[in-house]
Amino acid sequence: MEDTSVFLLCLTASSGVPLYCRSKGSNRQLTFSVIGSLNGVHMFANNQDVLLTSTRTENSRVVWRTFHDSINLIVMSCENTASDLSLNKLLENVFNAMVLVIGLDDLVNIKNVERLKKDLRACYKLIDGFLTESEKMADLTQCVDCIITHDVTILQECLDGFTQAAESDFGCLMAGGKVVTATEKWWRLASQDVMLLCWLVASLSSHSSRDYPVYLPQGSPTVPHRLLTFQLVSGVDVCILCGPSPSLQKVESELVERFWKPVVDPLKACLRVQLRSFPASIPLHRGIMGLLLVNRDLNKTLYTVQVHPLEDMHRTELKFTLDQRRAALRSFYTLALSHYLIPDNVDEKTIPCEEMFASGFSHHAHQCYTVSSSHKCYALKTELHLLFLVFKPEVPTFSMSTIANKTLQVFTKDFPF
Amino acid sequence: MCYESSFWWTMFNVGGHIIPRAVSKNLDDLDSVQSILLHSDLEPEWLESVERNGELFYLELSEGEEEAVLPLNPGVNHVRFCENVAEVISENAKKNKNEPRFKKLAKMLRNKHISKKGSRLHGPIGPTSILKHQPSYRMGVLVHQQYKDICLYVNPNRLLDGEPFQKLCLLQRLIGIVHQSSKNSKRLERHNGPDIPPRRTSPEKLVVHGFIPDSQSLRCGQILIGDALVAVNDVEVNTENIERVLSCIPGPMQVKLTFETTVFDTQIPSPNINYVPQPPMNNMTKLIWGEEHGNHQQILQDMPHIVMYLTLRLDSDTSKEEFSFPSTSLVLNKKLVHVSYWKESEHLFLVSLPAERVSLLHLKNMTADLVRTLRFMYKSLDRAFCQAENVPRLDHFFSLFFQRTVRLSILRASTGRGAEFYDACSSHLIDNLPGVRWLSLPEDVKTEIDTILSDLEALDFAELSEDYYETRRLYMILGTCLFYKGYLLANHLPKEDLIDVALYCRHYYLLSLASERIGQLVIWREVFPGYHLVKDRSPSRDEYSPPEARYFLLIVGLKHFMLCTLLEAGGCTSKAVGNPGPDYIYVDQLKACLLQLEMLDTSIEERLHTSPNPCLSCADWFLPSARDKFQSVVNSVMMSKLQTPKKALISDHQTSLRTRRPSPTRSSGGSDNGSEGVGETVGFHSTPELTRKVGRRESQGSGGSEGSGGSGSVLKIGKKKYTLPNPFNLGSLRRSLSEREAEDVYKTVKLTSGSENTLFHYIYLETVQGVFISPTHREVEDLSGSIHPLLIQNFHRCCLSIRSVFHQTLVEERQSDSTCKDYAGLGPVKEHGVLFECSPENWTDQKKSPPKMSYWVIGRLFLQPQPQEFYVCFHDSVAEVAVELAFKLSFGMPL
Repeated sequence: MEDTSVFLLCLTASSGVPLYCRSKGSNRQLTFSVIGSLNGVHMFANNQDVLLTSTRTENSRVVWRTFHDSINLIVMSCENTASDLSLNKLLENVFNAMVLVIGLDDLVNIKNVERLKKDLRACYKLIDGFLTESEKMADLTQCVDCIITHDVTILQECLDGFTQAAESDFGCLMAGGKVVTATEKWWRLASQDVMLLCWLVASLSSHSSRDYPVYLPQGSPTVPHRLLTFQLVSGVDVCILCGPSPSLQKVESELVERFWKPVVDPLKACLRVQLRSFPASIPLHRGIMGLLLVNRDLNKTLYTVQVHPLEDMHRTELKFTLDQRRAALRSFYTLALSHYLIPDNVDEKTIPCEEMFASGFSHHAHQCYTVSSSHKCYALKTELHLLFLVFKPEVPTFSMSTIANKTLQVFTKDFPF
Repeated sequence: MCYESSFWWTMFNVGGHIIPRAVSKNLDDLDSVQSILLHSDLEPEWLESVERNGELFYLELSEGEEEAVLPLNPGVNHVRFCENVAEVISENAKKNKNEPRFKKLAKMLRNKHISKKGSRLHGPIGPTSILKHQPSYRMGVLVHQQYKDICLYVNPNRLLDGEPFQKLCLLQRLIGIVHQSSKNSKRLERHNGPDIPPRRTSPEKLVVHGFIPDSQSLRCGQILIGDALVAVNDVEVNTENIERVLSCIPGPMQVKLTFETTVFDTQIPSPNINYVPQPPMNNMTKLIWGEEHGNHQQILQDMPHIVMYLTLRLDSDTSKEEFSFPSTSLVLNKKLVHVSYWKESEHLFLVSLPAERVSLLHLKNMTADLVRTLRFMYKSLDRAFCQAENVPRLDHFFSLFFQRTVRLSILRASTGRGAEFYDACSSHLIDNLPGVRWLSLPEDVKTEIDTILSDLEALDFAELSEDYYETRRLYMILGTCLFYKGYLLANHLPKEDLIDVALYCRHYYLLSLASERIGQLVIWREVFPGYHLVKDRSPSRDEYSPPEARYFLLIVGLKHFMLCTLLEAGGCTSKAVGNPGPDYIYVDQLKACLLQLEMLDTSIEERLHTSPNPCLSCADWFLPSARDKFQSVVNSVMMSKLQTPKKALISDHQTSLRTRRPSPTRSSGGSDNGSEGVGETVGFHSTPELTRKVGRRESQGSGGSEGSGGSGSVLKIGKKKYTLPNPFNLGSLRRSLSEREAEDVYKTVKLTSGSENTLFHYIYLETVQGVFISPTHREVEDLSGSIHPLLIQNFHRCCLSIRSVFHQTLVEERQSDSTCKDYAGLGPVKEHGVLFECSPENWTDQKKSPPKMSYWVIGRLFLQPQPQEFYVCFHDSVAEVAVELAFKLSFGMPL
């Protein structure tokens, strides 16, 4: 098996019929016997009243999850950066994506397997998006990726007005699959739902307008809502979540022009900050290569591995490629979250399917760092934020704490996030 | 008889300064020596416990427990009642007062044994040692054709109560055996009365006539109707004394019942295979942990845990040796359970424990250690698990393992303090370090120990050695290592052997036991040190073909000392044939050696009681709630230190460390420190806590180095000064600094006071020697505090995680040799740190938020020249310079 291949299997829990199999980094399909034994061992354990959750070997990991006693998801990853935390998140995301597209009812009460298989094809693109980690981090943090622009106040006003006019409370402006701004109600949706809607819009091919039925996995898993999206400029979409009215035509013809025409320039400016996710005018230490900032209250993420895009452009060969930076940030986030920094929203009642190493500490960890020959990482946890930084190896270890604190200050005081 | 007395002197009266060499000229006749040994009453007390295969595990506890002689063999469990209780039951045996009662049965059995297979006993089994006593096996399986031992767990506190049982005798209520006396039952009842004198008529045999339903004896399924109970824990019983004997059982315990059985060749039914083997109640754990032992049993019963050894029938050729540890997690009874595997050729060894007790990282380490220890003891897992005679031994081994695991996890979860808590916390990490806790000693003491050990290793026992009689030597000593209270004092073993031995000791709880309770310990067994066996296999050199040697481990413990010796037989020495038991002479030479070492007791104790070096701080000192406890002067110094980091943080963001070092706050704090130290020493002797603190303060001020002079000299007089350089000894640091740059004393004091005062804990692992250094139990205990124990607990848990990250680095490093590999993810991590925050427990002040104290746990991995690991825990305010220095200094570590 290749070094980086990931296989995702979906089967019905009762009969073990494969619903689909998605993979990444491998041309080969899993043979039926492998699928059968992966599911079989889980089923065997289940019959003995044992719930198999995960297994690890030298170079691969397998994680099993059963959702609503109806759908089994199995992921097998050979990536050495994979962890129980990331794979469990992946399976949750995948199941939520399935709910988003076809609703919980059809997944729990499977009447016609062949029909379900066909229905599920609609979410392949979304699922593949989760498998191939991209510019975004929200799949891991479960907090939607955002960007910061200068004109956010103007855009916010436009959005509020537009949403109101469309008889909805839930409106969101996205650029390149990341949230520029959203209405207050939108932020109050469950963080997974917000994240999924954003990924959905990004995964769909670009259309000038669209009316898409969605089930919100947390908010309303059985009753569909309408997601209306309108492309304002190429790469920038506005979407609203609404009930039966108004019609797509009405919004498109009457409201879009009226509200968004005057702000075309600020909208285009949104695309300019995409690489960095925030304007170049925000000063950051030169040693920082990658940044991940999570707002734990609003559940939003600011993420970039090109903190100094201009500088990177001038140098022909990057010492530490962008992919490596992404991998470093993801690994470090996983390490910090699974070993040290306790997430606040730990549900006591649910049976843990992965070990909470961090909860064994008698004192709480607030910062941590690693130093390796290629880069250094630093994590900082405050009341409101989680900050993860990837530094160049030249940055002195002892200064990382200071730089991290200063960076956080930038994003809390000068450019609040 | 004069032989005897002189021999006695040789063997045991060795408290003097030299190893006594008996000069008795009369001992020229080999036979006389042997006959003395064989016929004298001077059999070593452990002789009875030597097993059939030559193995010996003899443990005698010290202090008030010395009467409870506990030879520990899973198959052969002896429990003697303690002396005061035994008094009651010995009325009948008064004439044999000199002879321990438990020998009676032994004698009886031995006689039978000899009569039956006398020919075999007389024929030489191996190369007969001139001095060697042929151990008499008294507990062989074959011998028990007419007697069988059955171990039952009885609990006098939980007698069968209720109406129908009240009238029954103890035999029925406790054990569940019904014996119908030929006399009428009324008489039997009267026997229960303690005042009734024992009858003189010949007592009746206790024949089993029936069982009480649902009783222990019925459940065990091995007692048959018609068997006769002849002894309880080797105390002969009959209808006369049975009730009294049983009433002497003080608490829940395992008793051995010896039955005379009429059935020939009893097939004891094997326990159900599907059934998870219940660890046999065993005396060792009970003895070590006392009453809590029962509690552990209870927890173990409710806790899913298993060890399995499976055979895989693999068709494909995937059976390559794997070094990583595959693992699986599963949810059982709503609890997360981890399973860790080890694959050895076609076999799979797996261990499973619940996540709440043992984290996955820990479990993986534990599995590796279990495998290593089992290989050390049995050569391979296959031999360990697939040989029938090892079953009870493994049962015992794993029951110890699980009970110990439970105990440590309980202790870890408790907010206890003291040495045991420290042990439990650190066991998390250090049990699995490839190293042994090392205690650095003053040079002179160290030399003395080394000399004594070297003398022993030379095996020059004069006329007690084989050379004297021109026989080939039995064994060669490969090396020895000496433990004192669980600390390694000296090691003459190769590193791998040392770790093997240390792991063995840990699994049998010897290292922690040695810290307090060992009276006498003799362990003998054949071992298979991987280091020698692997080396033997390489056929690279033709000129030297390695010997087909066998290896034996001999451990002799005396009070706090424990001497481990690895013996080789078959190289230049005579081949070991069969299963040789421990040899008298070797054991006694080791004992003599230990007695000689006992003289050093005081200097080692002194070392253990010196103020910690490097100085440690208690976490509680950094919280204002501790204000009441200490002088305000001291406190103000602390407070000034506390404020320093905040100021520094705000004032110099991007300045380099150079500008940071002469921070004004810090310097004033440091100088205050030095001058006040003297005053306090004079002024307050009343509060021990204070003086101790002042002492620490003083030593950090002057550190015992010649350079500083001045303020510190007051206390220095009283203390013995050790010249051993230590990486943390900042005295030597200061010296080197002052030599190098001739800085004035003041500045250097600043630097040291800054780093020293804020150091909470540390572990330094050196992989070349296989040792690690960390604060002693005493040092940690002295710090006490309420938050500090939690800090230590956190420190070790965190190190476990840090170490797992390092482990990944080491694996990657090994794989990618020199090729420049693109690292995915974290890359080869060389340093990893975590900042923790804590506030005082039960903070009552509603108005103010509780004060906070932050501390770092940082681990560093040095790959060059040899992998070394270093973990420190210190207060957030430490200047980075000091941290750097501390890390760098570890390179100067002398060993």
